[in-house]
Amino acid sequence: MRTLLLAALLAAASQASAFCGFYVAKADATLFNDRSEIILVRDGERTILTMSNDFKGDVKDFALVVPVPAVLKREDIKVVQRHVFDALDAYSAPRLVEYYDENPCMQWRFAEAQMDEVLAAPTTLNHIREEKEAMAKGVTIEARYTVGEYDILILSATESVGLKDWLIGNGYRIPQTAHEVLDPYIKSNLKFFVVKVNLQELKASGFSTLRPIQIRFDSHKFMLPIRLGMANSKGSQDMIVHAFTRTGRVECVNYRTVKPPTDRNIPLFVKERFGPFYRDLFARAHRREGRNAVFLEYAWTVTPSFNGMKCDPCVGPPPMPREFAEAGADWGPQGGNTFYTRLHVRYARDRFPQDLVFQVTPNTEHFQARYILTHPAQGDLSCTAGQDYLEELYYRRGRELEELSALTGWDIEKRKGYVDEVKGKMSPERRKGLSAPLFPNLPKGPSGPMLIALVAAAMLLFTELAYRRNALSRAPLTS
Amino acid sequence: MRILRALHHFLRSDARHFQIAFLQGFLAYGVLALGWDAEWPRYAVLVATCLLVQTLFIRWKGLPWHTLKSALVTGSGMSLLLKSDSLAVLAMGAAIAIGSKFFLRVDGKHVFNPGNLGIGAAVLLTGDAWVSPGQWGSGPVLAFLLGAAGCMVVLRVGRIDTSLAFLATYAALEFARQVLYLGWEPEVWLHRMTNGALLLFTFFMITDPMTTPKAQGARIGWSMAIGILAFVLGTAWWINATPIWSLLIISAATPALDRLWKGRRFTWTPGAPLTPATTNNR
Repeated sequence: MRTLLLAALLAAASQASAFCGFYVAKADATLFNDRSEIILVRDGERTILTMSNDFKGDVKDFALVVPVPAVLKREDIKVVQRHVFDALDAYSAPRLVEYYDENPCMQWRFAEAQMDEVLAAPTTLNHIREEKEAMAKGVTIEARYTVGEYDILILSATESVGLKDWLIGNGYRIPQTAHEVLDPYIKSNLKFFVVKVNLQELKASGFSTLRPIQIRFDSHKFMLPIRLGMANSKGSQDMIVHAFTRTGRVECVNYRTVKPPTDRNIPLFVKERFGPFYRDLFARAHRREGRNAVFLEYAWTVTPSFNGMKCDPCVGPPPMPREFAEAGADWGPQGGNTFYTRLHVRYARDRFPQDLVFQVTPNTEHFQARYILTHPAQGDLSCTAGQDYLEELYYRRGRELEELSALTGWDIEKRKGYVDEVKGKMSPERRKGLSAPLFPNLPKGPSGPMLIALVAAAMLLFTELAYRRNALSRAPLTS
Repeated sequence: MRILRALHHFLRSDARHFQIAFLQGFLAYGVLALGWDAEWPRYAVLVATCLLVQTLFIRWKGLPWHTLKSALVTGSGMSLLLKSDSLAVLAMGAAIAIGSKFFLRVDGKHVFNPGNLGIGAAVLLTGDAWVSPGQWGSGPVLAFLLGAAGCMVVLRVGRIDTSLAFLATYAALEFARQVLYLGWEPEVWLHRMTNGALLLFTFFMITDPMTTPKAQGARIGWSMAIGILAFVLGTAWWINATPIWSLLIISAATPALDRLWKGRRFTWTPGAPLTPATTNNR
């Protein structure tokens, strides 16, 4: 009998991070802009956006520009603890589940996110000079705050060249292509949330890393301005969105929201390489979907309760009510249901021309990206039933290898020992009766269904045209 | 070859045959190629409810049985657009869709596109249903598939004017806003225009010959109004799936347009005698 017991190795894909806005450096520091994590809470017209910061560079070079739909007030801006992201990530990441053909046992392991050490150094701002220059360039400094270790400006601009000049004049290195992207945002009446690190505050705070920034605003617009982030990044970037609503799933309106393959049985040796496994699986799924889809990695009702949150199966310690509160997903004193959607977007300029637009749906169907390991039975298996079991195990492992190859594209030729080791435990007569498990060659090129659809459409069109010509030459059409 | 010819002859005998074949084909494409959840019970409930309600009215009003095809078109179209976790909500939407053809009538013609009204009612009345405009994605191949299939049906029922007037108006306004005013690259506009849900709407929903105005001039104006309203709703209020809402609102004006500009009444079966029973019911 199989017993499900333990769970959890989390995909440790955490690398560098980026915001949905873009980093601009004051010097030619090398910038990493590959992966960002955000928490997106949507309640009616209200959006609470928390941006995680994993900036790898000298903090005095750190700068961030995010288009926002409103002039934010001081109380709309907050600095939150990084552990909120870690807790959410650990809870919702694609997971590995282990089944045992026999004795159950338990094991937990978590991936730890890398924290970057940053150094503090003093800086000063010449406010008056800044404002004068700003006015001259059609840039208005709508507000100026210091929140935690950050100096924040809310800018509005009348034209992109002025804004670009102002940012350059104030020591920000703007990517050349950013200019074209700024224009549509200015005309859409967006403001610019500009952040730099206040080195004195950072030193005084005692934190060695930059903490996530949280902003809240009311707007019809439920979107993420990813185009700006693409301005200083050549390749593709990854973004994880932890979205919370009262009603149900968040889905993308202008791109497809799809699911990665889930509930697949994979070989035992993947346990040691689950991070690379999921990374390759994701890359493959991303390509298969045409590199322009948003992936749903987790969807679950997570209404907080006094004992923490309920989950089934629990693969990590569920986030606690205080973590929801920190993320802005606590709905205040009136409470209510909370639905958690984890989206993973890998975007690049060529396949994501539009900013991401979302909608909240009443869809409460649960989903998790889950991969299954099954440990073989232990002990003496020489009886007939045991030999039957081994035969079944032999073929099952063949299927697991095929699955692995189909999911990740890994070369499984070298892994045949995984199947053959079962053979060793079988009696010689049994071994003779086995047929070799099949190792398929993977199809390459465009997806099959797409081709079929195209061919079918072309054939229909062709018959239609042929018929039309025939029919016209014989009798007039009635339709 | 003979079988193909026979099949083709069958398809050509009624434009609805094409419609049903394409809508079912799109559903299969969505499930097989685009990785939609194969929610067969939901599709089954939508189609079955449409057919059942239509059957009731056929028995009650003595209508011809071929009107079941129209109900199948409605059910198939709704399967592609309407989503809900609750089967009861879907059944309600489908029942309202078909029911509206018999209860919301002016001058012997139903006012609303049944599928459109069914979707609107399910989303607005229950709050437990939704439309996923992103489920098709965007792309030139998709645009070609939907466009080609759509043209085959729409040309046959003589409503290409509706599709083109709507699409041209909406595309022109979007181009003016996105490219000329905001300054996005034309690519952004193209991405919006090749959205599968928009094209499905353009060729398979707005073109319903039973609920479009009868006179061609009125029809073109009506389609343009839908395009304009869809653009305004999306731009000013950031509403999603605006063509669906726009059609619902503008459809209320159809009876007035029909009174002002007379036109020939549409019939699905061109050879059949024009009786109220064959003309009125889609």
